[in-house]
Amino acid sequence: MRFTGNNKSILLVHRNMRPHTSDVAVDIMLTPQFYMVKKEKLPIKTRYRAQKIAPSLFEGLLEKSSTYKFFVYQEDDQWVFIAYDPEEIAAFLAQKGLSKEKVGKVYFAEQIVKLLDRPIMLSETEVLSVLDDTVVVVPASALGDIDSTEPVLARPKRSVSFEYSEKVLLNKEQAMVLAAIFVLFGLIWFAEGLRYKKNNRFLQAKTEELYAKYPSLQSRYTRESIISKYRKIDASERKKRKIIGQIAGMLFKGVTITLFEMTDKKYKVVFSVKDKSVAKRLEGLLKSAGLKKSAGSGPSEIIVEGRL
Amino acid sequence: MIWKRYQKEIMVAGALLFAFASFIYKSVQHSSMAMENQRMVQEVAALEETVSLQKIWGDKRIIQKLESVKKMIPSSKIKWTKQGKKLTMELHGLRPSELNNVVTKLLNIPIQIKRMKIEKKNDTYDMEFACKW
Repeated sequence: MRFTGNNKSILLVHRNMRPHTSDVAVDIMLTPQFYMVKKEKLPIKTRYRAQKIAPSLFEGLLEKSSTYKFFVYQEDDQWVFIAYDPEEIAAFLAQKGLSKEKVGKVYFAEQIVKLLDRPIMLSETEVLSVLDDTVVVVPASALGDIDSTEPVLARPKRSVSFEYSEKVLLNKEQAMVLAAIFVLFGLIWFAEGLRYKKNNRFLQAKTEELYAKYPSLQSRYTRESIISKYRKIDASERKKRKIIGQIAGMLFKGVTITLFEMTDKKYKVVFSVKDKSVAKRLEGLLKSAGLKKSAGSGPSEIIVEGRL
Repeated sequence: MIWKRYQKEIMVAGALLFAFASFIYKSVQHSSMAMENQRMVQEVAALEETVSLQKIWGDKRIIQKLESVKKMIPSSKIKWTKQGKKLTMELHGLRPSELNNVVTKLLNIPIQIKRMKIEKKNDTYDMEFACKW
């Protein structure tokens, strides 16, 4: 028995169903033969909390060897708890020729309790009906004549799905957390990359601005030519001025310069000193300045010569 | 249905791929910025040095500055010979203070000193100075 949904067919799954022969993927709706339901009025506001307490509600009712899962939803002022064993369901579906890979969404017949306005024939002996506000499978003989036309039912909003692999590395929550972390890092790195790119553009604009100010220096050849010309002059002239400054700093009481001569290549200074102590002090100053007394110096005259 | 079977893994792998691609993008941009920065720093430093050297040694007002030296000394003590961008000065009988002022002034003008001779004659100084610019 099939109900036409929005995009996929819904296959009603019950113990006496016929083998499934089609390769087309389907959504399934489980009859109460495959789940256990409990309805409770509890002071719980969120589905998350209800899901947390679901196992305790079925304590002692479920087989310990099975791996049950729980589906919870709110119906009016009460919570509906459904316990089901995905492995058992998958094994049954496999027997009927429907591998779990072909199953999309899984619904529970209990979800349509308010929409089930008349019993549905499952087989010649079984009927899906509502008793005491709960969907149940009852013997057909108990209900007398039943309309066997295919009912059109709305698709429930919530559903579950099968875990496909027995050896699942990640469950859905873990996968989502991991994916969120990766996406977050990705976004941070991407934003950082964009910032670096913009920074590059900023530097480029700065260079262009400098070249706009000094257009003659745009050519590297011109720049290098200017630099090589002036660097030489700058170094030589700074050296000349440094030596003149050093010599001027050596003048103190008792010392006079009688001759100073400087060309592009060399310099010569003749100091006249008053006495020996002055000469000694001057020699000390010359030494600390890295200048040397020339061989032609006398007791009252110190000559300093050097190359530039 | 195969994609659905592995949808969690596909989602994580996609996110990981995005993160990895973003990391590569960031790394490429970072290294590109570092290289560009280095190149820019060198280029700007060279440019600034060129501008600075040109400003100092290529000064157009050097002659005016030299003329001001001429005005510091009585004309009777100075012989001034200028040829194009070359200048020769001969100064006689300079008092020590005058000599100090002239030398200090000349050293602060961005000229190339070709020859500088200072000789003490009794209590005064004679000076010969040749420069170009």
